[in-house]
Amino acid sequence: MASRTSKPKQAIPLAEFAADIERRRLATGVTDLPRNPGTRRTPSKKALLKAIEAAGGNW
Amino acid sequence: MSAYRPEFEAALRLFAHLSEAMKARGFSAPILVGGGAVELYSLSAITSGDFDIVTACQEEFERELLRLGFTKPVGLGHTPLGWAHPELRLGFEIVSATLLDGMADRDRIVLIDLGVDGEAAIISVEDMIADRMGQYASGAAPEMLEQARRLFALHADADRDYMERRIRHESAGEYGIADLET
Repeated sequence: MASRTSKPKQAIPLAEFAADIERRRLATGVTDLPRNPGTRRTPSKKALLKAIEAAGGNW
Repeated sequence: MSAYRPEFEAALRLFAHLSEAMKARGFSAPILVGGGAVELYSLSAITSGDFDIVTACQEEFERELLRLGFTKPVGLGHTPLGWAHPELRLGFEIVSATLLDGMADRDRIVLIDLGVDGEAAIISVEDMIADRMGQYASGAAPEMLEQARRLFALHADADRDYMERRIRHESAGEYGIADLET
């Protein structure tokens, strides 16, 4: 998919895109990525995430 | 629904809706970057806290956010760049007016078709990996090397020549694709 995504001529349906990534995950065994620890967040980002959390967001 | 977590797909659909509204008014589509783009390219193997957006049309984009019920968080750390939707419980932050300081090739932007919600524009996986390597090279984000390596493993058929150039640029010449393969 990446070669397609490098030269986009038309939009890729989300389900098709997801199926392609799923195939890649199965082929490579990559199922998780290291997270940003959150220690470098800007004040703006902290305020935004706090607002989402206060609203009950599950991000 | 797709294999993505529901909250992510809902945000992506809302982003597509916003993008269509922008295009309908003659403005360029905003672009999803940052952790949201990594989540897309990894099928939620990592979860993002919000959506980071690049748009050269900040005022117009914010007008559309207001129309959809977004509000600016108040309190400590408040800046005009972050917007939250209290009912949908998600956030968008405008992080830049240009895509990676204008160095990313806009022709490589990926378009995702979300049906009736429209299309969402996403930074290319090559630029996303280069951005991660740039953060790693800064010394402030050691975890970004492994994130870039796993993204590269998932997308090993990406445009290597372009990615090599972009990684070199973002890391001030310090790193390249070889550093993803070790």
